[in-house]
Amino acid sequence: MQSKIVKIFASLLLIQLASCASLGVQPWERDLLAKDEMALDAEKLDLALDDHIYFSKEATSGGRAFAGGGCGCN
Amino acid sequence: MQLSHKPINISAVLATATCALLGVTAAQAEENTELWKFDTALMYYGETDRVTAVEGVIAATKDFGDEHIFSGKLTIDGLTGASATGAVAQPTAQTFTRPSGNGNYEIAAGETPLDDTFHDTRLQLNAQWTQPIAQDLRASGGLQFSNEYDYLSFALNGSLAYDLNQKNTTLSLGLSYALDTIKPEGGIPLALATVAFNPNPEQEDSTEFEDNYNSTRATDSDSKNTLDVMLGLTQVINRRLLMQFNYGLSTVDGYTNDPFKYLSVVDEQGLTQSLVYENRPDTRTRHSFYWQTKYAMDFGVADISYRFATDDWKIDSHTIDSRLRINLSDTTYIQPHFRYYQQAAAEFFQPFMQEGETLPEFASADYRLGEMTAYTLGLKYGMELDNGDELSFRLEYYQQSPKNAGFDEPGVLQDMELYPTVKAVIAQVSYRF
Amino acid sequence: MLANNTINAFSIEAKNDHYCGRFTAMASPCELLIETQDHELAQQLTLLAWQESKRIEHKFSRYQKDNLLYQINHAIGSPVVIDDETYRLLSFAQTCYELSDGMFDLSSGILRQAWLFDGSERIPSTQAVNKLLPLIGWSKVRFDHKTIQMPKGMELDLGGIGKEYAVDCVAKLCQLKAPDTSIVVNFGGDIQVTQPRKNQQDWHIGIESLADEKAAIKILKIKNGGLATSGDARRFLIKDGVRYSHILNPKTGYPIMNAPRSVTVAAPHCIQAGLLATLALLHGQQAEAFLQEQNLQFWCYR
Repeated sequence: MQSKIVKIFASLLLIQLASCASLGVQPWERDLLAKDEMALDAEKLDLALDDHIYFSKEATSGGRAFAGGGCGCN
Repeated sequence: MQLSHKPINISAVLATATCALLGVTAAQAEENTELWKFDTALMYYGETDRVTAVEGVIAATKDFGDEHIFSGKLTIDGLTGASATGAVAQPTAQTFTRPSGNGNYEIAAGETPLDDTFHDTRLQLNAQWTQPIAQDLRASGGLQFSNEYDYLSFALNGSLAYDLNQKNTTLSLGLSYALDTIKPEGGIPLALATVAFNPNPEQEDSTEFEDNYNSTRATDSDSKNTLDVMLGLTQVINRRLLMQFNYGLSTVDGYTNDPFKYLSVVDEQGLTQSLVYENRPDTRTRHSFYWQTKYAMDFGVADISYRFATDDWKIDSHTIDSRLRINLSDTTYIQPHFRYYQQAAAEFFQPFMQEGETLPEFASADYRLGEMTAYTLGLKYGMELDNGDELSFRLEYYQQSPKNAGFDEPGVLQDMELYPTVKAVIAQVSYRF
Repeated sequence: MLANNTINAFSIEAKNDHYCGRFTAMASPCELLIETQDHELAQQLTLLAWQESKRIEHKFSRYQKDNLLYQINHAIGSPVVIDDETYRLLSFAQTCYELSDGMFDLSSGILRQAWLFDGSERIPSTQAVNKLLPLIGWSKVRFDHKTIQMPKGMELDLGGIGKEYAVDCVAKLCQLKAPDTSIVVNFGGDIQVTQPRKNQQDWHIGIESLADEKAAIKILKIKNGGLATSGDARRFLIKDGVRYSHILNPKTGYPIMNAPRSVTVAAPHCIQAGLLATLALLHGQQAEAFLQEQNLQFWCYR
């Protein structure tokens, strides 16, 4: 039960009102940015599959993630 | 009141008492905890007359609390079909001995030589652990293992991400090291050695061919090291706009050749006299600059990225990738995808060699190192099911158009298609639960 | 059709991506944030929340004379018939009493006859406090599934758990009514979220800051679960530079010294969070140590 509680607490965050920043948003303005589809790695699997195709068919790899090795296809 | 005198856990007892008071069961309370999340996909990749691949992926993620996150991934792919060898098409039929030395295959007149012996199954495992290590500082470390019939790769990575400016800015630094070992059937061919041809493959003991073949072999296996460094900056611009900039440096050291790729040696009429194995420099240093931006609209999300990469093989490339998610309803969306890619040829790329010419130090006729443009057009349809799972389908068309980077074509080669277009279809089904 | 007085009792406002229902109950501003675009649903849920809050308030308020609590407190030693809900609340209080070594005591509210926490320096006399001590003691309260009986003169006060209990009850009803909708029940800073939002977004809730009178509002970010705050921001006495918290020790009749001014605790359910926050305050100087031992997410302000 204790570990369950700990897990639930992970989903809770408390933050204090802080000063204004020139670029960026206040924490409570993150409604749109917090959407799953706004994550930079949304569709992680699609991106990984694409990276693998292009890694094996083109001379350039990486950029978004590590360029690194891993396959005999190139 | 004293602390620590009672072994009982107060919050645990209280939790039980709360469940009794509110008439909820502990199981109901547990629904709120983070469970394993799975992401699965099955992809088909098929080129016209060439390679067909089927790739299956299962990825699992679990948040163990306080942003301690484990993710693991299992990838299996099977590859069959024919792949360009680098040899040029000829006005007459050509016969080639298979890379392993076992048997021959015939290529019709005017056809680009493809080796159809590619059958491979690859298994890849990834494991990644991410957790905060200090206020606003996250660390991540991971391992990757990939194994196929003649290739083995082991990689590890580590990265740090630092949030500042109320998490509107994130700086990251990552390192990755990979060790790849290749062990092709028949061994590693010698650089630029003449490919042995067996005129009588049916004959049981052709010692002459075996001697010839063995004389082109150096060792059984070879390896390469890849070291990647990546610097990243992610910035929230406003409520709708997010940007990322990455700089990547990648150095490869070791065996970079493809042991199955040849160059045709042609005479003045453009007729093939012999084949030689390719040879690439044993180091490569790449720089990549990547910019991505995501924009949240009322009806969806626009995702655009641009990548410029340059390396000491003189391959410069530009990539533009864009996806536009359009929400059709609360639970469904379509997403068109467009990607454009353009690369310059490696300085040692040449589509063939000419007889009598001094042997270059490095040479490859692998079209993937030549000048080319490529584009991808795709459409994805996704839907959230009643139980919260997500099902999506993706269909894409990929076309590569290799280009002549200014090579003269002697004699009959002028009538041959030396830079054939490669067309492929990608189909994918994904399920997230 | 709703009666006119019912309509006036609560208000509904469409926000950017949710509805906000408001009413007043238990002397607190009450708020419902409902992740929906459905005006009808928002109205139904707010009505439901208002009715449930009023039901609990009416049943257990010590300011009313026609309710069950009044009967219990004025039975002069005779048994009073109770219902299942009351039994469950009393059982919960029993567990809390045991867990806290007698520090959490529903019968300690009677000390209010001596202590008036109005920010003044009027400390009651020792005699006034001592006179009340015999009337305190949960162990003297006898109850079972059917009845409760306690010595003449004793009083129960559910103020310490009533509001949190109401939050949980309302949340439970809302979840039954709209099982696929994320709803925040916020009764003056005691909060319960029924389930995470569709896109795993956080709910942003402005609550009155107990810690800092200057920053009147602070923004709370919550995905799921419950949250409750206990403290003495406005309920204390100061004499000779010593701050007397309104958290009273039922054994001595005097305030717990060196307690944090406010404790906020996160837990799966609001009432759990509320109890843990109260227990932490009862630990005085050791409040943080207590909470750390419980492996909880919490925020203490001293």
